[in-house]
Amino acid sequence: MEKKKLLAFFGALFLTMAMAFNPTSGIGAEKYVTYLGLEDFTGPIAGITVSFNEGLRHHINYVNDQGGVDGVKIKPILLDTRYDTSRAVSAFKRYRREHKLVFILITSTGVGKALYPLTVRDKVPIQVPGVGYFQNLLGWAITYAPPYQDMFGASMDWMVDDWKKKGNPGKPVVGYMGWDNPFGRENLLGGREYAEKIGVKLLKPEYYPVGSLKHDLWLTRLKDYGAKYIFVSGTDPENSNVVRDAYALGMMKDVQLISGVWGTTMETGVAFHPEEFEGEVICSPGIRGVDARAHPLAKLWKRYTKSKPPVQFSYMLGMSLGIMFEKALKVAVQDVGYEKLNGEAVYRALQKITGEDTKGITGPIDLSPTSRRITRDVKFYRVTGGKIVPITDWRRCPDTVSLHKW
Amino acid sequence: MRPCGVFDERYIQDIAIVRTWQHWLALIGALVILYTFPFYGSYYLISLINLLSILIIVILGLQIVMGYCGQISLGQPAFMAVGAYTSAILTATYGISFWIALPLSGLSAGIVGMISGAPSLRIKGFYLAMATLAAHFVIMWIIMHLKITGGIQGLHPPPPQIGNIVLDTEERMYYLIVTMMVISTFAARNLFRSKVGRAFVAINDNDLAAEVMGVNLYYYKLLAFFISCVYAGLGGSLWAHYYMVVHPEQFTFMHAIWYVGMVIIGGMGSIPGVFFGVLFVRLLDEIVLFSSPMLSSLFPWLGPGPGAALGLSAFGMALLLFIIFEPRGLAHRWEVIKESYRLYPFAY
Amino acid sequence: MSTFLQFLILGLMEGGVYALVGVSIVLVYKATKTVSIAHGQLLAFGAFFFYLFFGYFGLPIIIALLLCFLAIGVMGFVIERLALRPMIGQPLFAAFLVTFAVFVVFDGVFLLILKGGILGVPKFLPRESLLVGGLRIPEGQAISFVLSMAVFGIIGLMFRYSKVGLGMRATAEDHQLAQSTGISVKKMFSVIWVVSSVVAAIAGISTAHVIDIYYSYPLLGIKGLIVALVGGLESLPGALLGGLILGILENISAGYLDPIVGGGVKEVAAYFMLLVILLVKPYGLFGLVRIERI
Repeated sequence: MEKKKLLAFFGALFLTMAMAFNPTSGIGAEKYVTYLGLEDFTGPIAGITVSFNEGLRHHINYVNDQGGVDGVKIKPILLDTRYDTSRAVSAFKRYRREHKLVFILITSTGVGKALYPLTVRDKVPIQVPGVGYFQNLLGWAITYAPPYQDMFGASMDWMVDDWKKKGNPGKPVVGYMGWDNPFGRENLLGGREYAEKIGVKLLKPEYYPVGSLKHDLWLTRLKDYGAKYIFVSGTDPENSNVVRDAYALGMMKDVQLISGVWGTTMETGVAFHPEEFEGEVICSPGIRGVDARAHPLAKLWKRYTKSKPPVQFSYMLGMSLGIMFEKALKVAVQDVGYEKLNGEAVYRALQKITGEDTKGITGPIDLSPTSRRITRDVKFYRVTGGKIVPITDWRRCPDTVSLHKW
Repeated sequence: MRPCGVFDERYIQDIAIVRTWQHWLALIGALVILYTFPFYGSYYLISLINLLSILIIVILGLQIVMGYCGQISLGQPAFMAVGAYTSAILTATYGISFWIALPLSGLSAGIVGMISGAPSLRIKGFYLAMATLAAHFVIMWIIMHLKITGGIQGLHPPPPQIGNIVLDTEERMYYLIVTMMVISTFAARNLFRSKVGRAFVAINDNDLAAEVMGVNLYYYKLLAFFISCVYAGLGGSLWAHYYMVVHPEQFTFMHAIWYVGMVIIGGMGSIPGVFFGVLFVRLLDEIVLFSSPMLSSLFPWLGPGPGAALGLSAFGMALLLFIIFEPRGLAHRWEVIKESYRLYPFAY
Repeated sequence: MSTFLQFLILGLMEGGVYALVGVSIVLVYKATKTVSIAHGQLLAFGAFFFYLFFGYFGLPIIIALLLCFLAIGVMGFVIERLALRPMIGQPLFAAFLVTFAVFVVFDGVFLLILKGGILGVPKFLPRESLLVGGLRIPEGQAISFVLSMAVFGIIGLMFRYSKVGLGMRATAEDHQLAQSTGISVKKMFSVIWVVSSVVAAIAGISTAHVIDIYYSYPLLGIKGLIVALVGGLESLPGALLGGLILGILENISAGYLDPIVGGGVKEVAAYFMLLVILLVKPYGLFGLVRIERI
């Protein structure tokens, strides 16, 4: 009896194996390019990548439904690498011979660094998280948000303006709180130098472990040292938890909390506890909140999933990546034609789309021979009455990456 | 694996690895296939074998300390990281040749492992497992906060070089990695034909009894950790030069559990078990990875996120069923097959 | 002094949650000699069921709690029956790996439920802090701390005086002896799993008060393992004390050492403490010292 069960189990296993190792057909169109996504749907940053991916996928579907880019369709292969380098590298090696693989999206910095030499050898551009390293490299990797340190610089600019507007003399004292991991520490590589440059007093940074229950300790310490502004860098929902802890401590009135790009991305959190987020400012490279809801492209969610649209910031940002890729592909197809289309053509095209708009989702595209930042503009939002409303227009980020000694 | 009717007459015969001409044939055939594989294998399969071979080296180390000596270690990824970082620092920062860095990385990982294994003198079982896990977290924390390791940026070690040949392609790395894998497999297999290996097995069976028989517990337990971590360090060094990057995110707590899982699924206390375990877990993982886009193409409304989540569940389920139905690991099944081959013409 | 007291209070509040997870793991270990990592998932699903009944269906809190305990009890029962029952008599670590496989299975399900988002439980305890003589006491957490101590007391009483508790204690002592006195050991295993699942769910609910339900909930199970080992795997008071010690130590070390070493001490402090305690007291603070015979 037991043997039979075992045999059945192995039979099923081999069947799946045969199915999985068969080449998938996917799109039926004769002219198409492949878009490979090595993402994390089940890792520690799943909270943002899942809806990020939805936006990207919906936009690609939308482009394909319209007949593709000059007749060239996009075939997305979007994989879950579970935040694991070896999984991602092995996935890349399996798919690198895919028909006209012209672009790879990577959502983890470690994976991006490990894959970079391989993709350069294959001449395929990759899109990686906004770490300064890649901007400084000026190579085949472009970031999918402005570099984190640049956005931190822009936030400090905003703090100085806000400080002046409130009629205070001098420069504000700024506290920094981040995850105790590569992501949380990235902001200060360049951010610290920029603070010195503009004369903002940056307190000793506080790092908290991923998945802390409470963050009172670090918040109160920064407050005791006299911080008037606290920049919080973490990925939602932990970032939101910091804000909620600040509310529980009654700090929201005398200290201004500013969240980084991945903070309060889950607007459901604001909807659940509107009063706790009141007054939080978010530095955002793309539209969110009321802007995102009013955006015409947000309807795509409804069309492709037939469910209530929980439009989130990362959904719109994912869509902007789709738009950027569509534009680059268009230029590449016009330049070299479909027959000669390859990763290198897309790489050249990516540097020519400087200044193009992304239908208002982000600022203008900033890619150029000297910039690997997808955009350089951020917008500031404030949570007011359970709604995330814009308080500034697009503001240009300072170049902090070049200040750091890499 | 012996056919019916072959008997051992001397102890030397009993512990021999290769016993019959069929064995020689199988061994040489396997080696020839392994070494000529890059000429006809696909790029993906070559890279898969590279990855599996590195894992096999690391898991062999874990098998020695866990399967043979009975000291459960959840710190293997951290020891691997120590090896990888040693090698990366020596080659990338100080420009020392890879061929010197490789043994040094094994040595450094071994020493760190020996220190982390020190609690094994007092504690055992699950307590020891958690102590090594704690060592894992402490080591990774230290690596991330040091300057010399590049902190959060990681390091970029160069590819190894033989004369003028730079081992920077899959095929070239293949020979280095597979050779290392073969050597370490033979070394591990031979270890258990020696006094040291027998002492390990005695400790596994019952450490008090072993001590009464005159096995120096302190010495041999620490030695087991040392040897195990040398393997981890060598594997880590190869890993660093194969991927050409070391980054703190590459060695996580989840890997620690997967590695122990590989040993248990393969079978404790068996060298072939290491191969079975690594192949089973890793290939299952690959299947899940590649079938999840298929799932979402079959059910477009599902989306990639839920598809991946289902993949994760399926992976866990396969693992669960496997341990329930085959708790003694694949090596046990292999033994059963071997036995039935030995008794071939007879029913029992 | 007041900063020290402040760290102490914060640590106690966090330690209460850790202690509950630790107690649930110790309960299972005492009776079945299985170390379980799956309790992280039980915690997460406990919080989820509470959200489902209280937040989603909007039932009164008492009914929601009861339904939540019922659901999580069923879940614990099913895990024991299907996954752990076959592991009786197998190596200790194989059973641990089974609980890990269960963990992975439910991790997928949990992610499927969350859909990459969060689930917020409506406010059921006050969020604000109380100022007492310059010290901030988070009100809601203090209430849930007191409640969790009450839960601990109930478990202690149950073990001491009820018939089921007597059976559990007998089972924990010796399986064969318990069997021979007419206690169904297998039934006891089920009961233990149900009880410990409910305890884990309570920990989950008190976590849901502090942070919205999200993907890293299950990882609290690892903290529970540390607590269980620090206190000694067989000791319920040990788990309670271990949890409180862990919470306090984490906060104090982060409070005083973070500025010196440059951050991130909180997480590593737990593991460091575990190493030290295991070196000094190999079987945890209150664990049973085994006298081995050959």
